[in-house]
Amino acid sequence: MEQWKQVLEEEILPKVMKPLRYQGNEYNAVKKDWKAVKLRSLFAFPDVYEVGMSHLGLQILYGLVNEQADYLLERVFAPWTDLEEELRSRGIPLFSLESVKPIAAFDCLGFTLQYEMSYTNILNMLDLGGIPLLAKERGDDYPVIMAGGPCAYNPEPLVDFIDFFVLGEGEEVILEIYQIMAEHRALRQGKQDKKQLLKELAQVNGVYVPAFYEALYDEKGKFAGMKVKEPGVAPRVAKRVVKDLDQAYFPLRPIVPYLEVVHDRMMLEVLRGCTRGCRFCQAGVLYRPVRERSKDLLVQQAEQLSKNTGHNEISLTSLSTSDYTCVEPLLREVLNRFEGRNIGVSLPSLRVDSFSVNLAKEVQRVRKTGLTFAPEAGTQRLRDVINKNVTEEKMLEVAEAVFSEGWTQLKLYFMLGLPTETLVDLEGIAELAAKVLAKGREILREKGSKQAPKITVSVSSFVPKPHTAFQWEAQDSLALLQEKQKYLRSKIKEKRITYNYHDAELSFMEAVFAKGDRRLGQVLLAAWRLGCRFDGWSEYFCYEKWQEAFRQVGIVPEQIANVPLEFTTPLPWDHLDSGVKKEFLWQEREKAYQITTTGDCRFAACSVCGVCQDLDVAVSLKKGE
Amino acid sequence: MLLCLQYSKEEEARFLSHLDLMMAMERAFRRAGLPLAFSEGFNPHPRIAYASALAVGVTSEGEYLDLQLREELPPEVVLERVSKVLPRGLRVKAVVPVTKRKQSLMAVINLARYRVEVPIVQDYDQEIEKELLLQEVIDQEVIDRVIAQAIAFPVYLVQRQGKKGIREVNIRPGIRELTGQIRGRKLILEMAVQTGSSGNVKPEEVVKMVRARSPWQLGENLRIHRLGLYIYADTQVWLPLERS
Repeated sequence: MEQWKQVLEEEILPKVMKPLRYQGNEYNAVKKDWKAVKLRSLFAFPDVYEVGMSHLGLQILYGLVNEQADYLLERVFAPWTDLEEELRSRGIPLFSLESVKPIAAFDCLGFTLQYEMSYTNILNMLDLGGIPLLAKERGDDYPVIMAGGPCAYNPEPLVDFIDFFVLGEGEEVILEIYQIMAEHRALRQGKQDKKQLLKELAQVNGVYVPAFYEALYDEKGKFAGMKVKEPGVAPRVAKRVVKDLDQAYFPLRPIVPYLEVVHDRMMLEVLRGCTRGCRFCQAGVLYRPVRERSKDLLVQQAEQLSKNTGHNEISLTSLSTSDYTCVEPLLREVLNRFEGRNIGVSLPSLRVDSFSVNLAKEVQRVRKTGLTFAPEAGTQRLRDVINKNVTEEKMLEVAEAVFSEGWTQLKLYFMLGLPTETLVDLEGIAELAAKVLAKGREILREKGSKQAPKITVSVSSFVPKPHTAFQWEAQDSLALLQEKQKYLRSKIKEKRITYNYHDAELSFMEAVFAKGDRRLGQVLLAAWRLGCRFDGWSEYFCYEKWQEAFRQVGIVPEQIANVPLEFTTPLPWDHLDSGVKKEFLWQEREKAYQITTTGDCRFAACSVCGVCQDLDVAVSLKKGE
Repeated sequence: MLLCLQYSKEEEARFLSHLDLMMAMERAFRRAGLPLAFSEGFNPHPRIAYASALAVGVTSEGEYLDLQLREELPPEVVLERVSKVLPRGLRVKAVVPVTKRKQSLMAVINLARYRVEVPIVQDYDQEIEKELLLQEVIDQEVIDRVIAQAIAFPVYLVQRQGKKGIREVNIRPGIRELTGQIRGRKLILEMAVQTGSSGNVKPEEVVKMVRARSPWQLGENLRIHRLGLYIYADTQVWLPLERS
């Protein structure tokens, strides 16, 4: 064994927190022979193990790639600060979990971009791996570095560091990419010619190679569009999308962590996409159209997952599981099959209606948890603006059902700082929560219950996201967000209502990196040098360091987050295509200001967002099967 | 039916906490499709009772648990099915039905054997160069003497954090056997100590006792390996499987 591995095993791992974060010995982890494959790749999750291992996308790609004889895919997560300190002080490189190899030894690395505030961890992981941060400084001997996930739809702040991005659903495209990389190496005695490789990859639909594009700026230094500078490269890159979820790969032997992770359960993906059309919601655009998986297939998958994992809970996951057209028969069948084995079922997302409460009641046959609903805004006017199809009557109906069925706690999610918001809307949040509480008191009193109801109001700040109807909106200034948070606090008077809110400084940074262009790469680098990492973790997020980073580079973050844009303003992500047309998004924005709602294309008319027409896909509902 | 399983926690699983291990075992039993018996109540859990908890970083080749099943299954079938689905680092070595024993494993097990590797950071006499073989003979004499002196005293007090603050405990009566050997740059201690509800001696505490008298400077990174858990009864040492 190499000496550093021995030091790691004997001296470092015994003294860091949760050493299991760094060992790939879990059940169903795949350890392949490096010499027996043509391509060695690494899935890099820029957050801690417990977060990364709760991510279904990791399990899908890990299973799919490792089932191919010619490739291997190992894992690496952001090391917690205690391990980072040990690695740095001893000069030990960041290593993969499965084979304990330095990350620089792989042929390619793929980062998943789940949220903007994980970006500094990407830089930190590359640095810990001894890999030059800047793509242009990485020669042919370094691994090629790719990234995918929702933030890849505006990856511009990361283009200095990442060689190429993949847009859309990874299982649809990854094997094409791997085949090109493997063949490229096979022709060159296992080596790569990076420039040539990237040219080959740029021909794959869904692959975006930023080095082949030049960002243009006007005389005032404002972003003015993107120009292709490499011949033969498409001016726009469209996402890849799975057409039929029943045919798509699904991992039936997922890794079973030893360590308790955030989502410690079997995940059944019942559908992909959501067309409820909330105007702030990015996932609702990126994962269009809605594609459901057949009930019978899901039941089969549940049986196999149970046999292969031993988990005691099944989660029916999706963006909105109560919208699954076969949710009742599926739930009934899964409950009947698994109840005798003491395997529970959980629903991660509930629509605000009594139908959803009934579903929740069904699944509580085995285990009882709290319930969460998301009215998002405090008044009907604002809920219509954001196209959130929830009324106060529905919310109170839900409260009645929840408390009648024996729950005593309810959590409500809201967003603050939404476009057109006034103080009336903030007061509306407090009033709605008070009404729900009053309903709870009434119901529990009628039932003769001794318990008092408890409401938690959890408020995040609106972040305008690319590819949404609100992508042109300005975020409220930091000071205004903080003022609104305080105002709302003053309006919540009930002791039985707990009020908590997200850090507004974090939401501000999130907006900047969600909407920013290439110049932000310099800020990321400066922030990382100042010690920023794990910015999504409140104990590590340091706003002062970020301010300093912006000062050093000479970029004013307020000009990115707090300025409204015109329809004609070139956007840094205009060349990246989610399938949903910009005109449709603008029309949705106009309708927001007219307080007009748009129906769900699953149940109402097609709203012509463009995804089905342009990407040759269709809404796929299983009802009536 | 009640089964007693003997299992090992090996290198690849050494960083599992007791809680991690319990979860890993439950999942393995579920994968094996065993007809697990569950506790009553709102949050039923499988009826698995462990003999003793192993700390993070500690390996063992002789751990035990009692497993309650709803239906009769031949022990060898259980062994075979579970063996196929255990994660790396966990291994079931034997399964026997519990017929005679009325008490829990935890109540009857009272002796544990450990092997502890203690790194030697610095030699006590570096100036004299000796022939390797001769050195080993001398080392053995020295370590034998150190241990003999340490255990000659009827009292060795260690401090333990209790619910009501720190208290002092005499561990010497709980140390039943102790031997040492020098292997390269390591001192290997083997010990048999009292464990369980009647009193518990931790291997780290025994190392502390030796360390205090050692002419070598001993390092802090211990490798603790449990050789087994036993029942000392009727003036004999029994394997738990022999009294099930």
